Amino acid sequence: MSISSPLDSNDVAPSPSRSRRSWDPVVKVTHWSIVTTILANALITEEGSGAHIWVGYALAAILALRLLWGLIGPAEARLSAFPPSPRRALAHLRDIRTGRKEVHRSHNPLGALMVYAIWSMLGVIIASGIVMAGPPSTAFLNPAEQSGAVTGQAVAGHGDHDDDERDEGAEGEDSVWEEVHETAVNLLYILIALHIAGVVFETRRSGREILLAMLPGRA
Amino acid sequence: MQERRRALERRAVATTFLVILQALATIFFVADIAGDIADDGWSMHLLVETGATAALLAGVVFGALQLRWLILRARLDETAVATARGAMSDLIRQRFLDWQLTGAEADVALFALKGFDAAEIAHLRGAASGTIRAQLARIYAKADVHSQVGLMALMVEDLVDGDAIKPVEA
Repeated sequence: MSISSPLDSNDVAPSPSRSRRSWDPVVKVTHWSIVTTILANALITEEGSGAHIWVGYALAAILALRLLWGLIGPAEARLSAFPPSPRRALAHLRDIRTGRKEVHRSHNPLGALMVYAIWSMLGVIIASGIVMAGPPSTAFLNPAEQSGAVTGQAVAGHGDHDDDERDEGAEGEDSVWEEVHETAVNLLYILIALHIAGVVFETRRSGREILLAMLPGRA
Repeated sequence: MQERRRALERRAVATTFLVILQALATIFFVADIAGDIADDGWSMHLLVETGATAALLAGVVFGALQLRWLILRARLDETAVATARGAMSDLIRQRFLDWQLTGAEADVALFALKGFDAAEIAHLRGAASGTIRAQLARIYAKADVHSQVGLMALMVEDLVDGDAIKPVEA
């Protein structure tokens, strides 16, 4: 150990390992499970199938927990730590241009806008999905009927024994919601691409911290 | 330290998944109740189901609060250890200055404080164990103690507040 003035360690003492940026386990788990549900519904489950709808409900539960965590979680996970502020986003852009690297405890202002954009898109996707699928119990019980309703054609001929009132007129309405659902999903893909591009950019600009902070193993 | 942090993180992750499942169940029942009310209006059965759902929702919120407590406590623990480590380093540095240890002696004394014996320190520093033993003897003389345990006790003595610990067992 180097024996210098005993006083100079005062600068070091109040900065424990917390100064290193890292998300808490709840943020990490909700982030990666949302990734999993999006991948599952995009690649694996059949559109409008019971599994697709259930994964959608799981996504709703995860998002709900993350929003709740935004109210009661640790300081850096709270919504108040990264308010959607175009003014601060512009200031951050100026920082990028001038090469200044400010340390953000939470999301950086541009990242914050991305977070809210992705969350609202997920909200639209979940809402339109629920409108089409109905309550989870029926979605689970009649997956065939639901997928029939989603394709929005040739349902009138069969399968209208107990759901008459809901199927009537729902055809046109459902295709509107289907449109909303698909458009929102496509927008979500664009947002995700931008998000990944943003992470790559920040990683190049400010180091691997931003990437490591979301990976497991660093509480 | 590392082990404890990992165990805490595992527990937090498991709890998070549990809370997500609870939230999913809550959404299931809320949607189910809303559908039933839209179809048939209120009934005694629905009233009870609504109560159960409210309890489930309370469980979700409580689970999330529990998670926060877990995480904040782990961080407090981490901060306390970091602060103690800083204080310990300060104290050691101060004492070494007081005793006017040479650079080599300070290195050896630090290893001694960490619990290494003369042979191990010799190996670590690539020196003869006779040299280390002589250095240790000079360190003990300067610090006015007779053994390695005495040296450690000097440091602990200043850092541990006995009165703060005793009442816990009372």
